[in-house]
Amino acid sequence: MKDSSANDSNLLVIVIDTNPFEWEHASSPLRLNDALQHILAFMNAHLAGRHDNKLAVIASHVGVSSFLYPKLNEVDQPGSKQQTRKNANVYQNFQVVNDAVLTGIAKLLQDPRPTLEEKDLGSSKIAASLSLGLCYINQALKSDGMGHIKPRILVLTVSPDSSSDYIPIMNCIFSAQKANIPIDVCKIWGEDAVFLQQAAHITEGIYIRLDDPHGLLQILMFSFLPDVFSRNYLCLPGQDQVDFRAACFCHKKIVDIGYVCSVCLSTSIATSSKTWRQGHCSESKLIKTQHSNTNGNMN
Amino acid sequence: MATNGRRQIDEDDEDIIDVDDSSLQNNQANYAWEEEYKRSWDVLQEDEHGSLAGVVNSLQQKAKRKRLLRDTDPIRRGIIRHLFIVIDLSSAMQEKDLRPSRLSLTFTYLEAFIAEFFDQNPISQIGLVGTKDGLAEKLTELSGNPTEHIRALKLKKFQESYGEPSLQNALELARSSLIHVPAHGSREILVIMGSLTTTDPGNIHDTIAKLTQDNIRASVIALAAEVQVLKFLSTQTKGTFGVAMNEGHYRDLLFEVIPPTAVTTTKAASNLVMMGFPSRSNESAATLCACHGKLTLGGYICPRCNAKLCDIPTECDICTLTLVSSPLLARSYHHLFPVENFIEVSWKDAGSTTACFSCQKSFLSPHKTSIQIQATTDAGRYQCKLCEKTFCADCDLFIHDVLHNCPGCLSQPRPKTDPRRAVHNGAGTPSHAPVVPSPLSGGPSRMILG
Ligand SMILES: [Zn+2]
Ligand SMILES: [Zn+2]
Ligand SMILES: [Zn+2]
Ligand SMILES: [Zn+2]
Ligand SMILES: [Zn+2]
Ligand SMILES: [Zn+2]
Repeated sequence: MKDSSANDSNLLVIVIDTNPFEWEHASSPLRLNDALQHILAFMNAHLAGRHDNKLAVIASHVGVSSFLYPKLNEVDQPGSKQQTRKNANVYQNFQVVNDAVLTGIAKLLQDPRPTLEEKDLGSSKIAASLSLGLCYINQALKSDGMGHIKPRILVLTVSPDSSSDYIPIMNCIFSAQKANIPIDVCKIWGEDAVFLQQAAHITEGIYIRLDDPHGLLQILMFSFLPDVFSRNYLCLPGQDQVDFRAACFCHKKIVDIGYVCSVCLSTSIATSSKTWRQGHCSESKLIKTQHSNTNGNMN
Repeated sequence: MATNGRRQIDEDDEDIIDVDDSSLQNNQANYAWEEEYKRSWDVLQEDEHGSLAGVVNSLQQKAKRKRLLRDTDPIRRGIIRHLFIVIDLSSAMQEKDLRPSRLSLTFTYLEAFIAEFFDQNPISQIGLVGTKDGLAEKLTELSGNPTEHIRALKLKKFQESYGEPSLQNALELARSSLIHVPAHGSREILVIMGSLTTTDPGNIHDTIAKLTQDNIRASVIALAAEVQVLKFLSTQTKGTFGVAMNEGHYRDLLFEVIPPTAVTTTKAASNLVMMGFPSRSNESAATLCACHGKLTLGGYICPRCNAKLCDIPTECDICTLTLVSSPLLARSYHHLFPVENFIEVSWKDAGSTTACFSCQKSFLSPHKTSIQIQATTDAGRYQCKLCEKTFCADCDLFIHDVLHNCPGCLSQPRPKTDPRRAVHNGAGTPSHAPVVPSPLSGGPSRMILG
């Protein structure tokens, strides 16, 4: 990819975690509606920054992930007719985006809950949203052709990591890294999101966990608004320590020196662990296939 | 095939080359030297309605062919690989049938190859061997550090080419290093040969027999023509063989080596490899690193001997422990859990979908597309069998070649019964997932164990 220059337009893909279990939890310091006011102001600021700045917004909900803006089939006519002329005091482009995001989220929250399994509860679909965002960026870069679009992704999250998302998130991180797309992460409250911390570290994005969620807009404006080019000249918050060590498969201990299975690459603390030797690859049917190398077809 | 009849061999070479066009039969492309002019504008031909549908069609065909090649069976693959690349540095490499010349094109492609190889095989190792003037020389030892190899490729002294190559010497040199490689890793040799002859000190067939015996797979890319001994070498050792017809084809042949090959041996037991997971340290005062002997601020500390190294993955220079990080191991996972191929949607069923699920690009509507165009093109819609979401051709390629996630499958609640979903689910969750202290997820390994 070419070096960024000051004249590039920016494509910002915002992933908003709309997990209602976290936002509406009794202990949550900020309501989704309040946070949305901050986020909408930030989106408008991004669009106002340059006339050709582009924006895509993806909701990472419980059990589902979908585009809020641009919405399916409306790519070609962003200012479709029914949305126009609502408020004469608001710049048209802002109005369109704001309406799309607000109605999209309202619709998500109203939708009858899909039947969720226990492990789906409380975790939002960050991996799916990142995948959607990367596909969208891939298409945008392809249709641009000139290399003047500088994409980046911003994840606004409140949910804890979902361990089942590990591989998909890692896949997203590596494709983003390959295409030089920084993934910025803003953890609005709660524990550090370890997977997303790694995402920001590997893709050279910014990771921030807010001390005070009410200051969301300020953090967004000062840390996440600068584009890839300006970041060269700014002193932005960095991460001191990212843990890249592996955890032992059977004892869940963090290991310094471990034994890695040459087939499925799972790690153990010692070779003597009998349960691990027998069990590490056999729990899943799929990995069993890896090992016994029997018929490769699953269905 | 037109190519068969048109292929002529220079008279001087006739007795050396084994004329076998089987590798050409299914290919429309000609040899580079057969093309009269480069007239790329001729490729764009309007059809009788003045549209470019034919061009679009051929491009889609090309993409489709690539898709068909993808192999998504979850088979066992050799993730830990040891590959020696034998580069012909003889005078034959100065030929200019591949532009700018065989040699400089090879070096350019190899740089890209090495970067991509380590991207996809992060815990594998490469070594480089050059052969010229009847001798073979190691340009680099087996190592997992891409910058080292790329630096060697850029050295002027390695880029000189003269004399005759020696295939046997080069193979023996590579073999002598590969036989010491532990059994859990694959042993591979890739020969890039521009010359049609080789000067060997002994019988090349003895060497080939030894390679077969040592389980070393040798693949060959010939730049000039098919040479019998090279083909024999690759078939005997179960490698691949290809003759580069033009620059693009050469690149394709080379990059085909990158995905880890399926392991066909039936030994069910897996090996355990000892690896270190160093932590990064930031220091306030500079200290010497073990790898370069330079003063640096910070680096990775070997957990066994406490030596400081500049970069991972590598082998500790002091105690030879393999040092990796958990994301590096995770990089290989997509080889183990590939995304299932998407199926093509016909024009007949195309009416139900209007835009690509993942990039939001609108599809051509079957009602607005004329029958003639429908007859020559496909609907440009590709469907995932599991989530039944529809994607455009660009996203299909991106999802399978780069992303390795199906966005549709990920953005649905996951049913328990589908074994395939297990890939995106707990089954694949490796031990490297950092332990997440959360009441809801309960650590990454819970699902596997419980
Ligand atoms: Zn253990
Ligand atoms: Zn295993
Ligand atoms: Zn060093
Ligand atoms: Zn050491
Ligand atoms: Zn698409
Ligand atoms: Zn799918």
